[in-house]
Amino acid sequence: MSEFLQVVLSGLATGSIYALAAIGFTLVWQAAQTVNFAQGEFVMLPAFFVLIALHWLGWPLWAALAFGLVISVLVLGYLFKRLIVQPMLPSTGLPLIIATMALSILLKEGAKQFYGAEAQPYPPLFPQTTMSIGGAIVSMQDILNLVVSLAVVVALTLFLNRTRTGRCIQATAQNPQVAEILGVNTRRMVLYTFLINAALAALASMLISPVYLAKFSNGETLGIVAFIAAIVGGFNQIRGALVGGLLIGVLDNLTATYVTASYRAALPLVLLIIIILWRPQGLLGTSEGRQV
Amino acid sequence: MSAASPVLSVRDLSKTFGAIKAVDGVSFDVRPGEILGLIGPNGSGKSTLFNCILGQLKPDTGHVEVNGRDVSGRRACDLNKLGVGRTFQQLSVFPQMTVLDNIIVAGQEHRGTMLGRLFGAPDAGLAGEADRMIDFFRLTHLRDQMAGSLSYGQQKLVDAAMAFMAGPSLVLLDEPAGGVNLTMLAGLKERLSTYNREHGTTFVVIEHNMEFVMSLCSRIIVLAEGRVIAEGGPEEIRSNQTVIDAYLGG
Repeated sequence: MSEFLQVVLSGLATGSIYALAAIGFTLVWQAAQTVNFAQGEFVMLPAFFVLIALHWLGWPLWAALAFGLVISVLVLGYLFKRLIVQPMLPSTGLPLIIATMALSILLKEGAKQFYGAEAQPYPPLFPQTTMSIGGAIVSMQDILNLVVSLAVVVALTLFLNRTRTGRCIQATAQNPQVAEILGVNTRRMVLYTFLINAALAALASMLISPVYLAKFSNGETLGIVAFIAAIVGGFNQIRGALVGGLLIGVLDNLTATYVTASYRAALPLVLLIIIILWRPQGLLGTSEGRQV
Repeated sequence: MSAASPVLSVRDLSKTFGAIKAVDGVSFDVRPGEILGLIGPNGSGKSTLFNCILGQLKPDTGHVEVNGRDVSGRRACDLNKLGVGRTFQQLSVFPQMTVLDNIIVAGQEHRGTMLGRLFGAPDAGLAGEADRMIDFFRLTHLRDQMAGSLSYGQQKLVDAAMAFMAGPSLVLLDEPAGGVNLTMLAGLKERLSTYNREHGTTFVVIEHNMEFVMSLCSRIIVLAEGRVIAEGGPEEIRSNQTVIDAYLGG
């Protein structure tokens, strides 16, 4: 029983980080009605920003993390929206999707050229100790990863549902033309959405890199898992992306421990097929509209 | 601005899509407190004209003034802050928000500061005002329901309430009667007349329902193929042979 609990808690910790990236998919879908296929690389890259501040600039960890967050929001949020999404927004659909695929390759190969192909050690953010919960020995890092991720999701949900700016973002997602007529600066709301997505990706990167290390190819797996998590949970709901991420994290760990580790990479894809056949709108998704 | 100055002034407005001239040199003024009807056969350029006035389409020529200010090329969200509201031909509510939240969104952009948007009261202090607007349009029993779950006619009423929530001086109503049943239609007309009488708000109404437009509007402009072909009071328009020919394809 204690082993089961340990596996589940560890899965929830990893899954909560998947959820951060999955929520980013959802937000960008709502704001620009496109799928950002560079989302995995958006999670890969901030770790390198942090490493640059640590190793090249010689900054302390806290300053390097702040640097990584700010540069990520600027590059992966503001510049991504202004230079790639905005010029293509009138056409949306396929051209923008292809552009994000190209961006994914550019970021991945850029990181490889700039920082090398080897995995880079990444400093832990939390104490490397363990604690006992109900007889299960769980690492403090897993527990704090889970706590931080869930706290951020709760804060984001409160922001979207309980503030006027959040309501404007919701209105823009649901009906941009009407929101504009009602005085909402919809371009600014879309920009906010992209900035939030970049911040979530940076946070996911900082939490997962101590485990995965910083490597140019990290985005491949993370991007696919987060994409599947968003679809499984429901592409038009933040809480759906959260559930999808947690579900995949837990099932992944359970499969690796109790069935086989050989097919763990296939599990999200099997889950995706089952969900699409059984409930195409996702576990918590709705078929009638867009909502953040 | 003098008392006689128009609320809305449109001058020589034109808009072309490829070889089709959707709006062709249209000029007119709308006086304060007036309810102006804008009618014409399908494809006569009415909605395009609205979109050009509100900055949703960029006109090829001409300019638009609101309360004496040239607003040509301004975005719709800027015009809203200058007191211009609009309803849409198609349903235009936020389907996954409650009726109350729809009405609050419609009014909140005129309130508060950047910090207030993040940390101020979620209802922007508008809950009371929103409730009064909900009562005015007789939507009280639907206040906490998701707007997307309402009937077509009820959503039209929510749409109208949203257009008035910011206290506009001018509202462009695009086919408010479209798809609304007769009972609700009478209620909507009565609410619009009452609002106009009590607040002095100016309306420009696009409508195909002749009975509705003739009984609501004091003056009517008729468009055909993007041009103004007639202008006058309801009775004058009803008996105008050019208008009759335009509708009958003569």
